[in-house]
Amino acid sequence: MGQVLGYTVLLLRAYARDRTALFFGFFFPLLFMVLFGVLNFGGSVRVNLGVVDEAKNDQSASFIATLSKIETFKLTSGERDAEVAKLTAGDRDLVLVIPGDFRIAPAGSGTSVPTLALYRNSARAEAGAVGTAILNSLIDQLSFAVTQTAPVVSLKSQEVTGRNLKYVDFLTPGILGMTIMQLGISSVAFAFVAERSRGVIRRIMATPIPRRNYIAAHVLQRLILAVVQVLILLGVAVLAFNVTVVGGLGSLLLVAVLGAVVFLNLGFAVTGLLTTENQAAVATQIVTLPQLFLSGVFFSRDAVPAFLKPVADFLPLTFLNDALRAIATTGASLGDVGGQILGLAVWAVVSFFLAYRLFRLD
Amino acid sequence: MPSIVSVTELRKSYGQIKAVDGVSFDVAEREIFGLLGPNGAGKTTTVEILEGLREADGGTAVVAGVDVRRDPSGVKERIGVQLQQSAFPENFLAREIVDLFALFYRKRVDAMAILRSVGLEDKARQKQEKLSGGQRQRLSIAVALVNEPRVLFLDEPTTGLDPQARRNLWELVRAIRARGTTVFLTTHYLDEAEALCDRVAIMDGGRIVALDSPPSLIEALLKRGFRKELVQQQANLDDVFLDVTGHALREE
Repeated sequence: MGQVLGYTVLLLRAYARDRTALFFGFFFPLLFMVLFGVLNFGGSVRVNLGVVDEAKNDQSASFIATLSKIETFKLTSGERDAEVAKLTAGDRDLVLVIPGDFRIAPAGSGTSVPTLALYRNSARAEAGAVGTAILNSLIDQLSFAVTQTAPVVSLKSQEVTGRNLKYVDFLTPGILGMTIMQLGISSVAFAFVAERSRGVIRRIMATPIPRRNYIAAHVLQRLILAVVQVLILLGVAVLAFNVTVVGGLGSLLLVAVLGAVVFLNLGFAVTGLLTTENQAAVATQIVTLPQLFLSGVFFSRDAVPAFLKPVADFLPLTFLNDALRAIATTGASLGDVGGQILGLAVWAVVSFFLAYRLFRLD
Repeated sequence: MPSIVSVTELRKSYGQIKAVDGVSFDVAEREIFGLLGPNGAGKTTTVEILEGLREADGGTAVVAGVDVRRDPSGVKERIGVQLQQSAFPENFLAREIVDLFALFYRKRVDAMAILRSVGLEDKARQKQEKLSGGQRQRLSIAVALVNEPRVLFLDEPTTGLDPQARRNLWELVRAIRARGTTVFLTTHYLDEAEALCDRVAIMDGGRIVALDSPPSLIEALLKRGFRKELVQQQANLDDVFLDVTGHALREE
């Protein structure tokens, strides 16, 4: 164990001197954040929300008033048919229908909770996703307020007003997922292919260090790097880009480490198939590029074409991004993202098996 | 003198090719032993078997009291190696490379003292990949010494070095032997073998075709009636080169 830890420390020190690695590990993701976040695709996203009030009571009026205070929403109201038609025409991103039985109160026994119907414009997936997230959290907070104590809607609504999901808020967890993927796949593939072809590994294997210790140190180094990357990127996101992270840091790190395990396994598996650095360049692109676009790094996954959805839904980066995003933007607990964690765990097992079968040191 | 490397009928084939075809020899303790031969003679395969890096198909090899085929990692503990076409990981400082390899042997060492012993103490804080060819070879030998090996294996240690750096390395090898370490080296350069080795084995086609001290081998050749046109020359081009450029080590 001392050998593994000592080796890990030396690897981390060497990493700190490696300009290329630092660029791709830290500067590059930050650059993305700047490009997409500051130059931004439209500052904060504006969501055109059509509201159809079929209840027309005090409570629906107060609910609409709360909605109107949320900066992100550009509110319009009208009849259901007219609003849905405008949605189809692209003039609305979302149409929310408040049902006739709407009230803000705990459901009595035998009665059901009123259901708000939401129409989303699939062509404007981005805004739709942001708007839905805000609506969900608003409803959650209303429900919480109602069931916990006496209704204090006005107070809660002010808190909601302060929460304005910006595009960088949405983007940051995606950048974290992307960085973890790159760390696992590219850093492993390039490092090991180069060290193998230059004879570094051969030289090390001429010493008595057991192979498992050698690999363990490389894995541990990268898991530590994953944690450091998440902390630094989140720190910059919060301090420099004013990103709001709602969920717990511990949960984010736990999911990030699980994701890193999956991608490291995949990295080792892919590396087993490669001999030259040119092959590594191609192979890492083949593995990472589709996930970059299908797994919701920069944009909502709703934008993924329908025929690719069955694939996109099960990519490891999809599970990772969805979990990170749910925790960061809606404050989801580990239990809330249990499905994604299960998905990552299955990938971890499968990819470990692949790495075990494919990876070779010589 | 007791032998520290003892090889009997060693064999290794790659498919149809018999890379090592019944090789036997002994290396005495504190000897500088040279294994010579053209490319493809089986030198590197033989050495890699002795280093525990490759499995033999037949025969026995005992290095520093350890049967290589039974306990390859036990051999690795007891020997120092410098491999051909190998490199150290990048972005490590020279002294970190020493620390790193000490860690691989689970030894605590004074990295600076080891670097000093190969004349690299002022390069300790330099990245290893920034060192010159000769400096890197000396670092490589320093690293091979971290576990205080009983036998040091050097595979073509002076390939690619300028005459000054070569002679500097020869001095280092002699100093290491003077401290009590046996040196086993392979080389393409016959002048190097003649200058450095107590005994040499010449390999060809997977077999040892000659084995003795350089003067004895030359004498035996002359006794067989070999004659070369006698040219009385008190110096050669090597001497000229060193005379005009000096013996001082160059920093590339």
